[in-house]
Amino acid sequence: MAHHTMEEDLNIAPPPQAQNLTSSMVTKKWPFLVTKGRFQLLRNFRANLQKVIFGTKLAVLFPAVPLAVVADFYSLGRPWIFALSLLGLTPLAERVSFLTEQIAYYTGPTVGGLLNATCGNATEMIISLLALYQNKVNVVKFSLLGSILSNLLLVLGSSLLCGGLANLRKEQLYDRKQADVNSLLLLLGLLCHLLPLMFRYALAGEYASIATSTLQLSRASSIVMLIAYAAYIFFQLKTHRQIFDAQEEDESEDGEKAVIGFWSAFTWLVGMTLIISLLSEYIVATIEAASDSWGISISFISIILLPIVGNAAEHAGSIIFAFKNKLDISLGVAMGSATQISMFVVPLSVVVAWTMGIEMDLDFKLLETGCLALTIIVTAFTLQDGTSHYMKGLVLFLCYIIISACFFVQKTPLIDDA
Amino acid sequence: MSSSSLRKKSDLTLVSKVRYDLLRNLLANLQEVILGTKLAILFPAIPLAIVAQWFDFGRPWVFAFSLLGLTPLAERVSFLTEQLTYYTGPTVGGILNATCGNVTELIIAIFALSNNKIVLVKYSLLGSIISNLLLVLGTSLLCGGLANLRQEQKYDRRQADMNLLMLFLALLCYLLTLLFHYSGASASDSTDSSLQLSRAASIVMVIAYCAYLVFQLWTHRQLFEAEEEDDEEGGNDSEEAVIGFWSGFVWLAGMTVIIAVLSEYVVQTIEDASDSWGLSVSFLSIILLPIVGNAAEHAGAVIFAFKNKLDISLGVSLGSSTQISMFVVPLCVIVAWIMGIKMDLNFNLLETGSLALAIITTAFTLQDGTSHYMKGLVLLLCYIIIGACFFVQRTPSSKHNNM
Repeated sequence: MAHHTMEEDLNIAPPPQAQNLTSSMVTKKWPFLVTKGRFQLLRNFRANLQKVIFGTKLAVLFPAVPLAVVADFYSLGRPWIFALSLLGLTPLAERVSFLTEQIAYYTGPTVGGLLNATCGNATEMIISLLALYQNKVNVVKFSLLGSILSNLLLVLGSSLLCGGLANLRKEQLYDRKQADVNSLLLLLGLLCHLLPLMFRYALAGEYASIATSTLQLSRASSIVMLIAYAAYIFFQLKTHRQIFDAQEEDESEDGEKAVIGFWSAFTWLVGMTLIISLLSEYIVATIEAASDSWGISISFISIILLPIVGNAAEHAGSIIFAFKNKLDISLGVAMGSATQISMFVVPLSVVVAWTMGIEMDLDFKLLETGCLALTIIVTAFTLQDGTSHYMKGLVLFLCYIIISACFFVQKTPLIDDA
Repeated sequence: MSSSSLRKKSDLTLVSKVRYDLLRNLLANLQEVILGTKLAILFPAIPLAIVAQWFDFGRPWVFAFSLLGLTPLAERVSFLTEQLTYYTGPTVGGILNATCGNVTELIIAIFALSNNKIVLVKYSLLGSIISNLLLVLGTSLLCGGLANLRQEQKYDRRQADMNLLMLFLALLCYLLTLLFHYSGASASDSTDSSLQLSRAASIVMVIAYCAYLVFQLWTHRQLFEAEEEDDEEGGNDSEEAVIGFWSGFVWLAGMTVIIAVLSEYVVQTIEDASDSWGLSVSFLSIILLPIVGNAAEHAGAVIFAFKNKLDISLGVSLGSSTQISMFVVPLCVIVAWIMGIKMDLNFNLLETGSLALAIITTAFTLQDGTSHYMKGLVLLLCYIIIGACFFVQRTPSSKHNNM
């Protein structure tokens, strides 16, 4: 059944299509390892290794992974562990994206889409769960918020900017319906964040019940958000696929077949996820030490630095597609990722915290929620007419710079509790 | 563009009777510049203001005369920069227009800064943005809609989109600075942080505005030149300037000096006028001053809307808002930085809230590319409500000097 579907479509990339294709953009071929070696098994293994480990331009950052482990083992200084873990996460995030793309060839578009939806932001999810486990609720909130901001302003802004500068004489169009649906979901997410925040200011008199009410509201909202996201997946993959299949025809890169076997990809995926978990644990454990040592506030590291690392692969891919004037895909990457985090990872974290007995709510504090609100409004307004030029990208990018400056100069100490 | 509708054609018959050539040229020049506008009747207010200041007639009178005198001066400055544009070409002319278009606001702001009246600066600039977005735009759309009831009124929404996007960027900067004060830090920390953020944001805003000028005048000119071809109507029979380049330049410099004098009077007498008339300083700064400063643009925008040339009306009002929020305000912060004065972008809750809702309402109104009188009426009523809000606000004026 899956094969029949594969033969039918000209291109098999399952939705969100864009995220599959980003990893293929950073793939390159390293043929020389395969020619030597007599035994078939060894040769296959080497071919496999070459495709997975060396098949990306980001492979140059892979040595950071063992270095981070060494640094932790020999206690070389916590800021070093933090920095090396950050560097090591970048190629791993990209490889995970590549592997899920490969698996998606076997599972077909629907399950592949769901898989992509879950694994696409694997780094953010793992960091969040580990931080929750260590009861650092603020790190969770801020890193997820930063990821949304980074996707909506940095990735989208730089894509539109570069795309606009590269295509100055052409008209840049995209289908606004996809952006509209994403904006709508983001606004729903914003509502769920605003209400607990306003609880605090509205019910200032009755102090005792505020925390409980906020928590209950957050948990209920999280369930609603998860339902909304499930419905969105259904909308995207089943009933309204045509809105999201806009520019798929020219995407076939090397062929419609996967380059590694299913179980091989699966094994690699599990292995890489384990390594990501390890590095994420280092990051969560050493974030305060790095913050003290470098003199930067924790909120800046969580909101700005971590998401840049986690989104590096998507970022590069989005810019490349914008250069080629394929804005639908760039938008799919950026806005799809923002929607995923806002409507899936955040409520999932709240629910997981609920089961763990940790009190995480959706109140992201005034300054951060204000940034989020204005970001969503500006992005929704920018994307609502279906055309683009470089000024739009520049304005979004400058918004991100201002928000970064805001958290850079913020000197409030972060209270690490629920 | 906007001033052409307020101009009258010079009647040169009186001048031609004068015998000497030089005198004739001078008188023609004078007539063109001084009397070439319907607002010229307000010109006598200028000497009256100076007389009132000199003989201490009462500071509220000085304030009132200065306000009245500023109106025709602002219009003449607009006319003169238009004339200079004929010589310098569209690019430099555009930049010149961008700088001189809001010269009244800029000069008032710098004088208020040097008198350390930071709140006055903030409120007058904020009031100018809101006035352009709601009052000028609202009356234009309203009058244009009523005059063209049977026609369809369209405009190119891309220009409006770009201006509103810039306004959203400015709103982000103001909002973030405001939120610092509520984010739970100690007072001194938050003041320091908001000052640093304001200064960084101001630099970013000026960069953004320069990029916007490049976008508007160079790479995407076609978006902004919608109805330029039919613009040379009204008083202008040809594309030539009516006065010489150096003549225009000298007049411009002279008028700017007089504007500076009147602005200084306004800044110094505003508290006394406020006490004497029983209106709060915030109402005077946010509502009255901008109405005066924008009078010429206002009239021009309304007249263009009557002729169903909405692109030009929108260009005037939105362009002016963008200039002030993305250029004049950050410029004031940077100038204050150089002067050692602590001005930040925190406009306080009520004012920032009004601005946010004004921008969102305008963005929503202009997003579909058509217009009718109800849109204008709603924007105008928004302005009246905001005006009422500041009218009834009774913060004591003694706190205003050192916020």
